[in-house]
Amino acid sequence: MLQTYGTARAGTAPILKVEDLAVEYPLGKGFLWKPKRTFSALDGISFELARGETLGLVGESGSGKTTIGRAVLRRVAAARGRIIFDGKDITDLAGEKLRRIRARMQLVLQDPYASLNPRMRVLDIVAEPLLVHGVVRNLEEARPRVRELLRLVGLPADAHERHPHAFSGGQRQRIGIARALALKPELIVADEPVSALDVSVRAQVVNLLQDLQQQFGLSYLFIAHDLSVVRHISQRVAILYAGRVVELADREAIYTSPRHPYTEALLSAVPIANPSLQRARKRIVYKSEVPDLVNPPAGCRFHTRCPWASDRCRTEAPPLMEKAPKHFVACWHRD
Amino acid sequence: MSTPEPLLEVEQLRVEFETRAGIVHALNDVSFSIAKGETLGIVGESGSGKSVTAQAVMGLVDLPGRICGGDMRWRGRSLLGREGQRYGRSIRGKEVAMVFQDPMTSLNPLLTIGTQLCEVTERHLGLTRAQARGRAEELLAAVGISAPARRLGQHPHELSGGMRQRVMIAMAIACEPKLLIADEPTTALDVTIQAQILELIAELQQKLGLAVILITHDLGVVAGLCHRVAVMYAGRIVESADADALFTHPAHPYTQGLLRSTPSLDVVEERLASIEGTPPSLLDPPPGCPFRPRCPVAFHRCLEMPPMAPVIAGGEAACWWAMERALPENAFLGTAD
Ligand SMILES: Nc1ncnc2c1ncn2[C@@H]1O[C@H](COP(=O)(O)OP(=O)(O)OP(=O)(O)O)[C@@H](O)[C@H]1O
Ligand SMILES: Nc1ncnc2c1ncn2[C@@H]1O[C@H](COP(=O)(O)OP(=O)(O)OP(=O)(O)O)[C@@H](O)[C@H]1O
Ligand code: SF4
Ligand SMILES: [Mg+2]
Ligand SMILES: [Mg+2]
Repeated sequence: MLQTYGTARAGTAPILKVEDLAVEYPLGKGFLWKPKRTFSALDGISFELARGETLGLVGESGSGKTTIGRAVLRRVAAARGRIIFDGKDITDLAGEKLRRIRARMQLVLQDPYASLNPRMRVLDIVAEPLLVHGVVRNLEEARPRVRELLRLVGLPADAHERHPHAFSGGQRQRIGIARALALKPELIVADEPVSALDVSVRAQVVNLLQDLQQQFGLSYLFIAHDLSVVRHISQRVAILYAGRVVELADREAIYTSPRHPYTEALLSAVPIANPSLQRARKRIVYKSEVPDLVNPPAGCRFHTRCPWASDRCRTEAPPLMEKAPKHFVACWHRD
Repeated sequence: MSTPEPLLEVEQLRVEFETRAGIVHALNDVSFSIAKGETLGIVGESGSGKSVTAQAVMGLVDLPGRICGGDMRWRGRSLLGREGQRYGRSIRGKEVAMVFQDPMTSLNPLLTIGTQLCEVTERHLGLTRAQARGRAEELLAAVGISAPARRLGQHPHELSGGMRQRVMIAMAIACEPKLLIADEPTTALDVTIQAQILELIAELQQKLGLAVILITHDLGVVAGLCHRVAVMYAGRIVESADADALFTHPAHPYTQGLLRSTPSLDVVEERLASIEGTPPSLLDPPPGCPFRPRCPVAFHRCLEMPPMAPVIAGGEAACWWAMERALPENAFLGTAD
């Protein structure tokens, strides 16, 4: 499979390339006489991310969004496939080499409340990666850099002596972002970074993420279930269903001419803040039997709900096919 | 008030919580009413007082909280005071029912769905066990659960999140209430499931003539379902209007900001409009309009608390700026924005 999944900018090497990735989680302990059962969280995932680009990852709960992020950051092992970061295969990297690569990829998490240690001061939180990676020798050395980072994310200068509980949700998310930026990463995996925030504050953080991207040429893997935020921030979007990418295209193509039946259903279910438009919309409804991933259905994982499903769909899994320039769809029937 | 005979009237309601840090003014002079068959959306950000409003109506405000002012009336009779509390106990769970955000916290994990559903109708309607089982099956079918007879024997953890929320709705409508209060009924669900639950609520409302109070922070959810919308900010209703009017001509700067900062599915802007700053502390609210510290159009009058006033057709807002713009002598100037 040497197909490339259309990066936004041809010519420059992608910062990240994921090829045919599969991740399996163990189910229970497994006994001596019973083979260990596994759960296929991801299967056949391939995509590229260009430098300075944002790829949105969308899908329902349990579809595998977080798992993709964790696999890319090498926090969970790949059962199959390759992860290529800046041209280097990092799938099997270990020890010091892995540590050095990890400094160049950072994670921003959803819940600013849970992801910050309440007993640490903001200074300790933001300085920690600098200390761990030996960029500075002690807190005193870290202080000016931390002050600079806090300014960058729009926190008050006196913030560094305070504890996380003294900040609002949006401010805590800024602390998380400052920490993620400390090592000057090139890639940020943002796992639902604004989902826990109120609408009025969400816009501030989204704008901040975009400003930082411009300023530092960051690449984002932006995970969210909110399709409107993803549309706003991403150049390209991948739609996940039950551990597989079912559609991958430029944002305009996904939102204005979705081709996979699941994408259509998903988009038609998003409520929009306009009563007359909302009343006029027609929702596409499919049966709601979500497949069991312990025994994933053969063939296309969407076939149990899909009105177009044929015998082929029930036996043979459709790969991502380029149905229009740079528009990839995993479906035997839809063009 | 064009609506006939309101079911529920809430008037100048105040709720406080006594905490170690001081008194939290959770609700300040909250007023609204709802009539038969009507859907009222209550929107606002986290901490604005949406849930406390629902809790007050359901008689669930417990220490350290207390209702310290105003009134609530169900079909004209007060729900406050000793007499009112007795009256309240006789209607809650029966004429007024509630659905919460997280079904797992309100369903008993140890009991089957059937046992929990039957318990409601046995208690409130005095049905026998056999009658109650029949009714439970009907209810599960009514909320779109397949194979209801089999589901009755299942435990909550055997159901998906969307199905659990359907069971909660079945329990809430078991006694044919007149008013259903749904506090973030779909926040924990995926969009496709959310759409199904919202459609279910709309369908039940039409069939049973239910009045619905839908609490959410998602303006999109409100747009599809509600006739009227109340926007809360810092424990106050700052704007209340017909849904169409509110979404096309929001009057309050907060509502305007909220709508502008909601990214849309069909237009992509370079940059999202955002409301700077964060909501005020309810321990020590700033003087005057609670939105003043974040308001882009605040002026000297805003140091005084603005009252609710009819500033647009079909709606009212508590804002001095909106009031000045709505003055008749400005009307002929037309609005170019
Ligand atoms: N450590 C784990 N062990 C076993 N199964 C797991 C583990 N982590 C995740 N899973 C399962 O893998 C699947 C994918 O999970 P993942 O967290 O990637 O989904 P997600 O798309 O991020 O969902 P959400 O929107 O709820 O965050 C889920 O079914 C989940 O239950
Ligand atoms: N038991 C309590 N003790 C102290 N303060 C409380 C209590 N319950 C609620 N409050 C306060 O009352 C205010 C309103 O809370 P409420 O739960 O109504 O907000 P909400 O609008 O429902 O927010 P969310 O969207 O997060 O659910 C908040 O400031 C909250 O901290
Ligand atoms: S009253 Fe004043 S501060 Fe409050 S919203 Fe209106 S203009 Fe802004
Ligand atoms: Mg996740
Ligand atoms: Mg609430």
